[in-house]
Amino acid sequence: MSPAPVLVVGGGPAGLAAAAHLAAVGHAVDLVELRPALGGAYHRRPIPGVTPRPIGAESETRWARLVAGIDHPAIRVRLRTGFLGIDGAGCALLDDRTAGRVEAARPAAVVVATGALERVRPRPGWELPGVTTAGGLQVMMKETGRIPEGRILLAGSGPLLVALAGQMIAAGRPPIAVVETGDPLRRPLAGFGLLPHPARLVEALGHLGRIVAAGVPWLRATALETIAAEGDALRVELRDRRERRRTLFADHVALHDGIRPNDRGFPEPSVSAADRPFVAHAGDCREVLGVAAAEIDGARVGAEVAAILAGTSTTASKALARLAAERRVQAVLTRLFAPAIPPTPIAALPRETVLCRCEGRSVGDLAELLDGSDAPGGREIKLSGRFAMGVCQGRFCAHWVAEAAATLRPEATAPTAGDLIGRRWPARPVSIDAVIASADRSDTSPSPER
Amino acid sequence: MSAKTFPWNGVPIAFRDGETIAAALANAGVRTLGRDPAGRVARYFCGIGACQNCLVRVDGRVVEACLTPAVEGVPVESAGEPTEAAP
Amino acid sequence: MSDVAFPSDLRVAVVGAGIVGVSTAWFLARAGVDVRIVEAHAPVAAATGAADGAVSVASKRPGPMMQAALAGIRLYRELAESGVLDGLYLTRSTFLVAADRAEATVLEGHAAALASVGVTVDPISAARLPIVAPALSDRARAAIEVRGEGHAIGYDIVRRLVHTGGLRIDRDRRVTGLRRAPSTGRLLGLDTDRGPVDADVVVIAAGGGSAALLGLGDVLRPRRGQLLVTERAPALARGLPGAIMSARYLLSKASATGGPPVSPRGYGLVIDPLRTGQFLVGGTRENDAERPVADLEAIAHVLADAVALVPGLADVRLLRSFAGLRTAVVDGLPLVGPVGSGDVRVATGFEGDGICLGPLMGRATADAILGRPSEIDLAPFDPARFTGRMAAA
Ligand SMILES: Cc1cc2nc3c(=O)[nH]c(=O)nc-3n(C[C@H](O)[C@H](O)[C@H](O)COP(=O)(O)OP(=O)(O)OC[C@H]3O[C@@H](n4cnc5c(N)ncnc54)[C@H](O)[C@@H]3O)c2cc1C
Ligand SMILES: Cc1cc2nc3c(=O)[nH]c(=O)nc-3n(C[C@H](O)[C@H](O)[C@H](O)COP(=O)(O)OP(=O)(O)OC[C@H]3O[C@@H](n4cnc5c(N)ncnc54)[C@H](O)[C@@H]3O)c2cc1C
Ligand code: FES
Repeated sequence: MSPAPVLVVGGGPAGLAAAAHLAAVGHAVDLVELRPALGGAYHRRPIPGVTPRPIGAESETRWARLVAGIDHPAIRVRLRTGFLGIDGAGCALLDDRTAGRVEAARPAAVVVATGALERVRPRPGWELPGVTTAGGLQVMMKETGRIPEGRILLAGSGPLLVALAGQMIAAGRPPIAVVETGDPLRRPLAGFGLLPHPARLVEALGHLGRIVAAGVPWLRATALETIAAEGDALRVELRDRRERRRTLFADHVALHDGIRPNDRGFPEPSVSAADRPFVAHAGDCREVLGVAAAEIDGARVGAEVAAILAGTSTTASKALARLAAERRVQAVLTRLFAPAIPPTPIAALPRETVLCRCEGRSVGDLAELLDGSDAPGGREIKLSGRFAMGVCQGRFCAHWVAEAAATLRPEATAPTAGDLIGRRWPARPVSIDAVIASADRSDTSPSPER
Repeated sequence: MSAKTFPWNGVPIAFRDGETIAAALANAGVRTLGRDPAGRVARYFCGIGACQNCLVRVDGRVVEACLTPAVEGVPVESAGEPTEAAP
Repeated sequence: MSDVAFPSDLRVAVVGAGIVGVSTAWFLARAGVDVRIVEAHAPVAAATGAADGAVSVASKRPGPMMQAALAGIRLYRELAESGVLDGLYLTRSTFLVAADRAEATVLEGHAAALASVGVTVDPISAARLPIVAPALSDRARAAIEVRGEGHAIGYDIVRRLVHTGGLRIDRDRRVTGLRRAPSTGRLLGLDTDRGPVDADVVVIAAGGGSAALLGLGDVLRPRRGQLLVTERAPALARGLPGAIMSARYLLSKASATGGPPVSPRGYGLVIDPLRTGQFLVGGTRENDAERPVADLEAIAHVLADAVALVPGLADVRLLRSFAGLRTAVVDGLPLVGPVGSGDVRVATGFEGDGICLGPLMGRATADAILGRPSEIDLAPFDPARFTGRMAAA
């Protein structure tokens, strides 16, 4: 057994399950979580004094199991501690927000279980105050039990919009409408795919039932095209499958176009078992399969890492079979919510549409950069175009910039979002004060002098 | 309900234990967070520390309002220059 | 581009799309030469994309490098004024700052040396420093302001030159050697991992990759530099009227050039306020480092030094760290000139000055190919000084 601890990054189901498994087989585990509380995207915990909203027996049991699993003396949970990546000396860097200090650790392995990030398609006005992600709205609801005042419009695509609407209605604050580019009701056959998964079906039907009962318009096959500030309100333009246009006014617009792994900027999974630290990805950060899969995958990766550190191997056929079942559920959902009105290609959006929210770089700026004798690659688009150069380090634009670049210069090698983001530390901005404080402890880094 | 507050650009904002700065400000009806260090309008977007749109200043340090718990009496300010008023 | 002093069908192949190769190609293309760039990865993949951008004479000692730096600055100014580099060349002073009496003494001597070659240098007393540069800490005891310097970002310059020159770049194509006719030895072009490239003249501007092509492994050495960029802090940037260079940097540079290095990891300090309100802060000079990666220890060290001089930086966030490999020549002078018969030319080994000197040396190389007189004396940089050690050419 290795004396160095294993670093598990992320306090969602995948991270908790991985930590529990590693501790159970004798590893010391440092579990770091950026936020002040464990839980992750799905099991986000309410602040003290706020009653958690009901999430169903299956989920309650899962959470109880996960919490019990990390109740182990070998697991050290560190909240408000962000993982910044692995530096050139092979140290895992941790931004301890409580201590105000960056730490360089030398774990035997790193399990990156940072979950999923929402995809939000750029649209004119998506950068305005009052526009959030649907997940952003859900974070507030789950943690504080409160929903911001005013008219709230949910728009984009995917089951989360339905779930969020259902939760808002249950909390007595229905959205003014849910705008959905897909048309799940027109794809009932796809829905049969959920029959072998009764819990999901019941959950989905429950949300839908609430939406219908509350009389909230569910505008399917409809795209939210633009948002503009008008007085204190947001003026929203919609377009449906039959090219009918319609204007709504809201105080908040919550956008969501699905989710994708939150793996960008973090070290890639190791390909060689000899790598130290050995890096593995687990849960939705590896593949977006939802909450049940995250727990299974966390335990599976925990076992895999333990085996690699012990120089043995594992067979995870049972876990893999369960993950395959969850993958089928996701495939059904994807089919159900397939766009019924094709989204405007990024490159075809109005030129002034902001792509990079941090640096304010627009579709027109990208088109200009890509025009000329030599089509720049991903890294050059980043450097010279300042796309993915800002403080979010490309997490909200890189994907779309890459897509648009592929459209604008089809003959050139298409850049990837990863090319734009890169994998340099820090994976998130960090206070210089905290970086300097890292030198306060002498045991953290090798001395390269002499 | 507790009567704990922190000053936001000098104005007391009530919060509950465990609440983030962003949640407390949203509850108080504060929609824009002044200017961020780059001079853009700071505002809440992703809620999970990823988009970096909600930057504020606490104890001199620039932090994400959506990740940082409010602490009684600890002042929170707009991260950008105070001379540029938020629209 | 009228006075054609070269064969009108001359084909030139440039190896490497860093600032030196791209500048060379740009001047050739402007003269109507058929030029192509062959690049192993992508433009600015190496040093040019991982550099600070001091276009500066401030840290130079009298000699050919100082003369070259002055000419380099003049060319940037011309290119900016003529519109080619419009908006990309930022004119600003460099402030060399002394933190103790010893450094102040070094500064005095250095100021005199700069003045002797016509550089405008203003001494700034400790009393005036807080007025000139309010963001500086009171640890700064004295400073000199070196006027008329500038800053240029390597990747922006390259992009602009590629664009305005209409340059063609063969990406992802690694040059593996020179191709010569077996019988005559006449240059035919290049061998690459994706087939041959025909050319009458070859320019090797491949940075660290030049060593393998020329068989100069013991002449060219990688010297790593670690740098960092902060997020924007425009208010703090306004308190710094130019680049801040610690006088200790002079010592670091001196120790790293020529003779055996004092320690594998030398630290210098340059704090460069960028147009965006961000700060670029560097850096290290490391001799035994082959991988361009940055580590916490080095970055924390550089930042601690930076905060000691500019305390406001403590409240700013670190956005990115990065590292690059400078290509250094063992005698401290670059390699610019013909290799053997003259149908192969080299331009590399600029160590920490290639952004400043890239356009200048690109023009000089193009001029030589075009048979035009060079505006600067390239004799000190002639690769012939290592003739005995060169293999391939
Ligand atoms: C808005 C949203 C809503 C969702 N709703 C559902 C749903 O209704 N049903 C469903 O099945 N799935 C849902 N998902 C999918 C969700 O990803 C999974 O359900 C599940 O939470 C995945 O578990 P995980 O452990 O992989 O990641 P998560 O539960 O997301 O946990 C990841 C944790 O890592 C932390 N973290 C991130 N970066 C760092 C860092 N650098 N350092 C330290 N910690 C870090 C995060 O703060 C987070 O707590 C939703 C996802 C999102 C984004
Ligand atoms: C940390 C750091 C800070 C610096 N700061 C400054 C500064 O402030 N001011 C300044 O003036 N200079 C500075 N420099 C120096 C400057 O960056 C370099 O001198 C300059 O970029 C060198 O340019 P180049 O074109 O010669 O080489 P490079 O930029 O290294 O380009 C060489 C190119 O050749 C390609 N190549 C290599 N081998 C082959 C092959 N076999 N086939 C095809 N292509 C090949 C490479 O992929 C690369 O793109 C700094 C450098 C570093 C690392
Ligand atoms: S709202 Fe995105 S980082 Fe805080």
